[in-house]
Order: sequence, then structure tokens, then C-alpha cells
Amino acid sequence: MATKVKESAAVATTSSKNGGSLISDDKLKQLYATMLKCRLMEEKALGLKKMARFKGNYYAAVGQEAAVVGAAIDLRPEDAVAPSHRDFITNFVKGVPLDAMFSQLYGRVTSPDKGRCAPAHCGYAPLNIITPSSTIAAQLNIGTGIALANKMLKNDNIVVAFSGDGSTSLGFWHEALNFSAVHDLPIIFVCQNNLWAESVPIRLQTKVEDISLKAQAYGFPGITVDGNDVVAMYRVAHEAIQRARSGGGPTLIEAKTYRWYGHSSIDPAKYRAPEEVEAWKTKDPIAAMERYLTQRNLFTPAWKQQMIESFGKELDEAVDFAEKSPQVEPIECLDHVYSFDIRGRELDRKTRAPKYQK
Amino acid sequence: MPVSYIEAIRTGLAEEMRRDERVYLIGEDIGIDGGAFKATQGLIEEFGPQRVIDSPLAEGIIVSSSIGAAMIGMRPVAEIQFVDFITPAMDAITQQAAKLRYRSAGTQTCPLTVRVCYGGGTGGGLYHSQTNTTWFAHEPGLIVVAPATVADAKGMLKASIRQDDPVLYFEHKRLYRTIKEDLPDGDDFIADLFHAAVRREGKDATLVTYGYMLQVALQSAEKVEQETGATIEVIDLRVLNPLDRDTILDSVAKTSRLCILQEDHRTLGIGSEISAIVAEDAFDCLDAPILRVAAPDVPAIPAAEPMEQFYMPNVEKTCAALHKLLQY
Repeated sequence: MATKVKESAAVATTSSKNGGSLISDDKLKQLYATMLKCRLMEEKALGLKKMARFKGNYYAAVGQEAAVVGAAIDLRPEDAVAPSHRDFITNFVKGVPLDAMFSQLYGRVTSPDKGRCAPAHCGYAPLNIITPSSTIAAQLNIGTGIALANKMLKNDNIVVAFSGDGSTSLGFWHEALNFSAVHDLPIIFVCQNNLWAESVPIRLQTKVEDISLKAQAYGFPGITVDGNDVVAMYRVAHEAIQRARSGGGPTLIEAKTYRWYGHSSIDPAKYRAPEEVEAWKTKDPIAAMERYLTQRNLFTPAWKQQMIESFGKELDEAVDFAEKSPQVEPIECLDHVYSFDIRGRELDRKTRAPKYQK
Repeated sequence: MPVSYIEAIRTGLAEEMRRDERVYLIGEDIGIDGGAFKATQGLIEEFGPQRVIDSPLAEGIIVSSSIGAAMIGMRPVAEIQFVDFITPAMDAITQQAAKLRYRSAGTQTCPLTVRVCYGGGTGGGLYHSQTNTTWFAHEPGLIVVAPATVADAKGMLKASIRQDDPVLYFEHKRLYRTIKEDLPDGDDFIADLFHAAVRREGKDATLVTYGYMLQVALQSAEKVEQETGATIEVIDLRVLNPLDRDTILDSVAKTSRLCILQEDHRTLGIGSEISAIVAEDAFDCLDAPILRVAAPDVPAIPAAEPMEQFYMPNVEKTCAALHKLLQY
């Protein structure tokens, strides 16, 4: 078992830029393009929300794209993702069709959960994305169980479990890390430390400077990364994924980052100083990557513009698909409670117990 | 040869583990030690530590890791050593296991079994005696069973493991070594997971119960018949969620009198729900008010014997209720 690996954000950034040749040009461009699309998607979702085109609340990760994209871009379909409430975009990175994602926002019959969860709480069984609950850190523990099963089944599938700084105060968070360590499970814990758990600042959440330090208590590597540097995130995640796949056990990656907007679409986030928000906006992960690609002659404004236009069209089509999709039937409220149907039981109050099937 | 309730659990587990290699066990002290009550004794020797996992002392991860494993095809059987310690797993059970199928519209499911040791009357005190079945009977999405016989201990456990839903399997510690039965041979012995059972036929009153209290109910019914000649129909609920309403209603239609006997305390216990069902759906059948024999509404069962006896429903209290019911 490796001891703690600690890498400062500055070092991670520098090393990524010096050693960028390890990552192909195509991958670098893909990282940028995916972040840009995530941003466009969430700005679109927030715009629709503002116009009250869908109900409920939206939890945007705008500003945090590098942490998600860097960690999840190379996952296989068989790998599981355990998203938190703010990780709608993990679905896109993993390859979920836009039609399904926007149907999720609209709660239509075409959504993966047929209108059950909050708009941003999107899961997708075909790509092994756990449908999120709102109880914080619960996804880590379920992800840990998937990792345990992967180990038992002797496959090389892994789990990437996302959480935020607030979740680290919960017992669940620690139970997941501890159990994963004891059994050397193939799981990567990506903690997006965006400095605020709703309105509570990090200094009221934990005494330690770096959340990655907490991995040391469980006996596996914890690494702090500049979560706004997608190349650094990608390199660290790549290494963690390889360790996990080869039976090396879990890794905790702390991505220091910042959410540009409120906790949710109804939170004006007045608890944060405007100067702090503006300072972090200058560290925009997409703009940073744009500069990096420009230095390497991998970027042109025309390429970006072309992407904005073509992806914008895809988004419009997805919105159109969602808006034209039927609402769920009211009676579907009674479905998917058990493996057997309860409609009859609820409607005429007979027991209607199912026959037992072997 | 008659086997005990705990032997039935052990052989049920072993048979399912032999039948299906996806079945594994996880819990505190279940491996090397064979369980606090020895329910899993010998299983680590046969199946190894990968399938009989001595977990860290953390009920939350015992259940929540089982949810994840079940999601991708395993058949975990998690053990909660005492129901009194189930609270750290409440999020896992009520928010995750109970709701996963629903929140994913049936695309993600967790067929896991949680074996839960419960029940008082053994001097265990506040935190080794509780009967918290109602917490889970209130949660749609969970199947909650409480076998009261040796045959059910085995047959319902095997059925639970094969069921495509999360099942909480409540095993009463006082039954482990106090009841014995002859069981059918063969490992395809599966019990129904959805219906209550009439354990004693009667025509003058219906006594509904579950778990260890079935013993109390049967003794009380016998005693009342000897004393009055009245016959009491005893229903063993077997399943607390979803409730088998029909068996209860059919019986009340016949007897016109209902008493519910529960080891749990009174307020909002299973008896409250059964009373409401009968009041709503069989009011015209009733010749007397519905009675409940239940523990008092105190936080938990005191350890000192005089108070424990005061707390526990017993034959005397049940007979008194039945007499009152019959005389109304």
C-alpha cells in the first residue's frame, strides 16, 4: 500500500504543462471540447430554468468542468460513476444522449427515471451511472459496493465517485473510504472542493487545509490537484484509474475548484464576496485550457466558434425533443416500487400479493 | 430430525450460497466468530473470507455496500447484529435501498437481504432488545418479513435471497434456540413471501401477531378456549410490508372480533395500521372495538427483570384482552 502522495496545485499544473507530451493532441482537444460543451449545456439549462421552461431546481457545476471532465473522460461504459447532486454533466462526459438528459430536466416520459428525480439528478443504467439521491455522500457508499462486486467478479471495471467538500463531514464519506481501503477496492474518490457547501465555508467544514490529507488516515494515496486545470486532473485521474484497474486500490483526488453560481438555481449566493467570485472567474478552466492549446498550436477561434454553433444546434434539438416528449401518466406514480406491480393493490385495496416465482 | 430456528437460518444461507455463487454474506463478527448468536458458524470455513466478510464496525457501509453490489448482480446478505444498531444504516435502507428502483424507474435495482436480529425478553436491556420493525414497515419499496416458525425461518430466508427486491428479514433472538421443527428435505424448499398464515383456526375472535409473539398468541388462544370454550383464530402476519390485508379481513369477516398482539410499543405500531384497515374495510363485520396488546410507549426495554416483564406483552395480558373482546 502506497503512502500518502501529496502534490501541490502549483506543482501539478506545472508538471502537467511540462509533461504534456504524454497526452495526445487529440486528447487535449477532446478535454477542451468536452468542457466547453458541458459549459454550454449548463448555461442552456440555467437559461431554460430562468424562463421557467422546466420545474424544480438545478444545481450547476459551472466553473468546475475541469474536475469532472478530467476524471471521467476516459471511463469505459462498464465503469460506474457515482454522481453527487451537482454532477449532471458527468452523464454527458460518460456518453448519455442529450435527448435523455434534457428529458430529465423536463421530467418527461423519455427521461431515464420517467419524471421521478429532481431535474439535475440524472442517472443512466446503460452506462452504469448511479441515479443520484439527494442525501449527501450516499453515492460513495453505493459506489463502494459496486467496486466490491467488481473485485469479487474479478473484472477490471472501476468506479469513480464524486463528492464535494461538504460531504467530507459526514460519516458515510469516511465509511466508504475506510471500507474501500480495507478491501483495496477499484474506486476513485473525486472530491470537488469548491470551498462552499451551500452557504458554509470550508473553514467551518474542516480544520485541514487539504482534504486529500484525509486519505492518509485510511492508508491510501490522497492527491490535491488544481481542479481548474483539466490537464492536471486528467493526468492524476489517469494514474488513479490505472492503479484501480490493476488492483492497486482506491485513490482520493481533491480537486480545488469553485462554483460560479449559487448552490442551486434559487440561491443568489450572497454569502460570498463578489471579489472572491470574480477572482475565481479569472481562473476559468475553459479559458485556461484555451490558452494552453493556443500555445501548442492546437486552438483556433474558428474551431471554437464552429463547436459553439454545432453543439448549440444539438442542444436546441434536445430541448425540442424534451419539450415535445409526453408527460408521464399520473398513474405511473404507482410504478417501480417493487419488482411486482402494486397498481391493483393501491387502487382497489385488495392484497393482490404476487405469486412467488423461483 | 427436528431443527432449531437458528439452524434453519444457517442451513438456508449455506444452501443458497452453494446454489448461487453471487450470494455472499457481510456483517460484524459473522466470519471467524460465526456471528454473535452463531447463525453463520462454519460458513467462513466452507465459503472463505471473500464470501463471508467480517465487515468493519459500521452498519452504514454494511448495507450501502450491499446495495451497490446488488446493483450489478450480486446477491448480498447483510447482517445487522442487533436491530438496536441499525440506525447508522437508516439512510442506506430507507433512502437508498427502498427508493433505488423507484428513483431509477426500474432501471437500477438492489436485490439484497438484510438479516436483522431483534426482540426482547432476554434481559438484553435498552439496546439489545428492541423491535423496530415498524420503521421499515412504513417504507414502500422494502419487503419486511418476520418469520415466526422454523420452516419460515429457512423458507423465507431462501425466498428473500432470490427476491428481486430489498428484503429486511427480522429474526427474533428468543426463537433461535427455543423452537424446533421437522423440515422438508431438499434445497428447493421455498416459502411464500407475500401472505399471512392462519396458524390456528377459530370462529369467535381473530388474534393477529408476528415473530416471537406467535408463541404467546397460540398459548393464549389455547388458554382462552380451555377457560371459555371460545375458539380464537391466530394469524401470523409473516410479512409486515406489504401487508396481506385479505387474510386479516377474511378472518375478521368470520369472527367479527379483532385483537392485535405486537412486541413493539403501541403508538403507530403495526397494530395501528391493521386497526385502520379493518375499520375502513370491515367496519360492518365488527361486533366489538378492536383491541391492541402492545408494549408501553417508553423509549426501549429496561434491563431489570421486573420492568422488562412489565414491558413485554405476555400470555396473561393477551388473555385479558381476549376475554374483554369476547365479553363485549
